[in-house]
Amino acid sequence: MIDVFVAPENKKPEEKDMSVFSSFCKSPKGIRFQTQKDNETIILFLRSHFVKNISWIIFSLFLLVLPIIISLSLPSFGLDFLFSPSANRFIAVFTLFYYLMLLSYLFINFLHWFYNVFIVTTERIVDIDYSDIVIHNIAITNLSHIEDVNYTQSGFISTLVNYGNVFVQTAGNERNFEALAVPRPREATHIIGDLLGKGHSNSGPKR
Amino acid sequence: MDLNFINSLHPGSWIKVIALIIIVFYVVFTFVVFTQVRVMGEILVLPSSKAILKIISIIHIVLAISLFLTALVIL
Repeated sequence: MIDVFVAPENKKPEEKDMSVFSSFCKSPKGIRFQTQKDNETIILFLRSHFVKNISWIIFSLFLLVLPIIISLSLPSFGLDFLFSPSANRFIAVFTLFYYLMLLSYLFINFLHWFYNVFIVTTERIVDIDYSDIVIHNIAITNLSHIEDVNYTQSGFISTLVNYGNVFVQTAGNERNFEALAVPRPREATHIIGDLLGKGHSNSGPKR
Repeated sequence: MDLNFINSLHPGSWIKVIALIIIVFYVVFTFVVFTQVRVMGEILVLPSSKAILKIISIIHIVLAISLFLTALVIL
């Protein structure tokens, strides 16, 4: 007789390799966070869609060519004192400093995107916010404390490339969690929704 | 305290001193960035990128120190 009502085995999901620029990964391989327990597995890894970086990348490209545009247009203003040897030395140092600042701007913006992550494990939700170069905030809540999960997706670009905001509401006065501009918000909401009420309730949220 | 030496400084020297002070602050800032990259690398382990980000932040420090030395010599 065929066993129709036998519950399927609880198989561990297959871990996938994640690229550096990935924003949505189910069961990522090789990723760990500081307070992760030995028996805790990452189910979902989220960060903002890469499209969110386009504004600062375009602005950086503009800043990259700006000194060239200025240097080409300077002779037409008749500023002869800028071509003296002493002025040239200052201009050289200033230009190097300018490009170094641009490198910092690029690097910090990349870090801001790269380290703003939202992790769903078999026990908890971990929200790592890297809001500024000197500020980072890590919030953790147990899955049993989650009351509701929903998402919003509005706007032309977010609909076109399929990203949106996922909101996770927790019980009582605990902090609510949000993953902003993450890819495939509907799928992420379903994955978190399926985990509602699971996890151990002995550990409260840590901030 | 005798501060008369300030009057004897050439305007070009003032600009040099101010530029060097700004670059020193920038060097300190690059060390802050390096520290943050190291701390974030401990909080979140992403094996493929940890070393690359650390190398970029070290290059950042080296470039900032090089700029300070360049400014010190040529200004």
